[in-house]
Amino acid sequence: MAEFLDFDTLSLHAGQVVDPVFGARAAPIYQTTSYVFPDTDTASSIFNLERGGHAYSRITNPTVGVLEQRIAALEGGSAAVCTASGMAATFCAITAILSQGDHIVASAQMYGGNISLMKNTLPRFGITTTFVDPTDNDACRAAIQDNTRLIYGELIGNPGLDILDLDAIAKIGADHHIPFMVDATFNTPYLCRCLDYGANMTIHSVTKWMGGHGAAIGGVVVDGGNFDWGATDRYPTITEPYAPFSGINLWEEFGPSAFATRIRAEAMRDIGPMMAPMNAFLLLQGLETLSLRMDKHMANTAAMLDYLQNHEQVTWVSHPSLPDHSSHKLAKKYLPKGAGSIVSFGVKGGREAGKAFIENTELASHLANVGDAKTLVIHPATTTHSRIDAEALVAAGITDDMIRLSVGLESVQDIQKDFELGFRAAKRIAKG
Amino acid sequence: MGFRTRQIHAGVTPDPQTGSILTPIYQTTTYVQPSVDEYLSKGFTYSRSGNPTVRALEVKLADLEGGVDAACFGTGMSAIHATMLAFLSAGSHAIISDVAYGGTYRLCTKILTKFGIEFTFADGSNVDAVAAAVRDNTKLILTETPANPTMKCSDIAAISAVARDAKAVHAVDNTFLTPYYQLPFELGADISVHSTTKYMDGHNATVGGAVVSKSEEHAEAVRFIQNSTGTIMSPQVAWLTLQGCKTLSVRMDAQSESAMAIATFLEAHPKVEQVMYPGLESFPQHELSTRQASGYGAMLWFEVKGGLAAGKKLMDNINVWSLAENLGSVESLITHPVTMTHADVEPEERARVGIIDGLVRASVGLEDTDDLIDALAAALEQV
Repeated sequence: MAEFLDFDTLSLHAGQVVDPVFGARAAPIYQTTSYVFPDTDTASSIFNLERGGHAYSRITNPTVGVLEQRIAALEGGSAAVCTASGMAATFCAITAILSQGDHIVASAQMYGGNISLMKNTLPRFGITTTFVDPTDNDACRAAIQDNTRLIYGELIGNPGLDILDLDAIAKIGADHHIPFMVDATFNTPYLCRCLDYGANMTIHSVTKWMGGHGAAIGGVVVDGGNFDWGATDRYPTITEPYAPFSGINLWEEFGPSAFATRIRAEAMRDIGPMMAPMNAFLLLQGLETLSLRMDKHMANTAAMLDYLQNHEQVTWVSHPSLPDHSSHKLAKKYLPKGAGSIVSFGVKGGREAGKAFIENTELASHLANVGDAKTLVIHPATTTHSRIDAEALVAAGITDDMIRLSVGLESVQDIQKDFELGFRAAKRIAKG
Repeated sequence: MGFRTRQIHAGVTPDPQTGSILTPIYQTTTYVQPSVDEYLSKGFTYSRSGNPTVRALEVKLADLEGGVDAACFGTGMSAIHATMLAFLSAGSHAIISDVAYGGTYRLCTKILTKFGIEFTFADGSNVDAVAAAVRDNTKLILTETPANPTMKCSDIAAISAVARDAKAVHAVDNTFLTPYYQLPFELGADISVHSTTKYMDGHNATVGGAVVSKSEEHAEAVRFIQNSTGTIMSPQVAWLTLQGCKTLSVRMDAQSESAMAIATFLEAHPKVEQVMYPGLESFPQHELSTRQASGYGAMLWFEVKGGLAAGKKLMDNINVWSLAENLGSVESLITHPVTMTHADVEPEERARVGIIDGLVRASVGLEDTDDLIDALAAALEQV
């Protein structure tokens, strides 16, 4: 049988077999809690992970399963587990392998939720994090401790847009035998498949570009299947007998998908952040047009960069595709199709002018999301990163005048027409 | 099997592939065919013509009514319309009970007459009047019983006999009582029509309709219209309605019990002119209601002393109850038919059939009976 493995094809077909019952072309929405077992032997073997099959929708669901397999295929991973949100994906992925006393080396330039998780929440359970400048690979290497069990970063940092040197950091991980987990939300597998550059697992908030329509919250953890968990004794959750499932050894039984299986067997079962079947269906619809949308996002972003760079009310523009951006070379290497559709820029007149800009655009929505089909603008210092102290704000590359723009799919002429409204208001403030 | 078992299980079997205990939502337009020769071998081709989720609801409704088959539609009006298209042609005549939902009246008088179909609105409570309206070209008698909003009842068995003699189809709009309380086929009717929006869903979540047939021949005629005109129910709506049906009897019993208590309260209230509820002994057709249905339902109407002005005051000031169209949901609703549901019926026709200006329609929901009565008492206090 022929294998059809091109990205556009996978985004439409991977993970889905035509419904064998009625031939339904779209994946049915299994809005059900439970599954009737044909007999008790089948039931017990599903419960013991001896065979695949569905028992209860907190653990697996056929509609969510299609999305999981599709994303795993697009990323080139061995398996994926979908979760109720992107934050749930990060939490479940970390706690699947780290325990009390373990340590993370993470980028200092990440989504505020990720930073808060590692800085405030995980330490309560004895997991600590050292944050390092994502552009300083030596700092990353230097931060590795005896108890470091994970290297974590966002490929395109939020909101400074610095890019991780995947090859270099993967090498640091490999040298120390520590897995490298990448939050790939801003790039999606269409712009960069991080696993191809040595990352061991990726995380997505599929709420963003993957879903693309601002309709459903969701997350996913993709297991790269490329980390040798058994090489050391540092990852007992994967390599030692797991008591709840008759002492099963996940590494021996599931090999390249042992990490994903641990998340399903533990996090889904004991913590339970399942993705709703309806959300999975909506996200599958979005994923079908991922490449088309990303191409348009990239084209609109290029046009907006040109516009902003030439605008008298703009003090600075930051995007990795611009030659003066510190990550420009890395962008060319890892993101040749485009370095994402998030742009940061400063408005002349500082904080108040920035506020005036946001309050006076009409088309661009002022909200705390990115990656919608619609253009979004936000002022990070007072919103997404507001729970972070001043020092960390600087470390995260956030300034008072910064506006974060998520370039949507509207006509770029209309986005610019709308921005003129914002800039006119900002100008009045700047003149004081 | 009893009604409570069938309302849960009829039409629904665990998904053969995964065991999913609930019917999946087949949100799909089309179905992949195994081969040209095996076209339709799995039962579905295109979701206008049939959809597995909608089908589960159709089988359930047919079972609950004791019919051979059902066809689901996008709205109750589509179901009524399909019934008329299935059995009427240019030159045909139909008799409609003279009190019916305003939308049914509008469909007949404003739309279907344009296609050469004739209608007589006859007093459904008077079998002789219905018989007298029969013509050589009468093909359909549609009775809404109890009728919206006056609660006037039609004798289903007697009118079915008239229809049989006339070789006409007798369709009953069974929305108000549902098959849990009233089984039109056992009384001789041929078709049972529903707005599933009402008690079948029961949660104000969907808009939908259904036509249930007693015979294969009628079922086929309705299904032909369903597929040809395409006024279908969506899979999402069918799925939600499937969930609602599971508690139909429980809701009907609780809501009807409340309705009886509320009707009794209103009847004794000095500021209330009149109350119409089939469960009250004072109801003009109490005997017929008791004979042909096993329950009285949760719809009633009343008139406040002082007529329209007093009624408006009550409706504008009441708590717990919501002033809204629709009926049959767990939320109690209060409606003023003259300005809302029956506004398109001419004033003279309304007066003729008893839809008086001060008529306040009440759809009793699932809230605590005491709270509903207290709210009515407080609103009456302000009148």
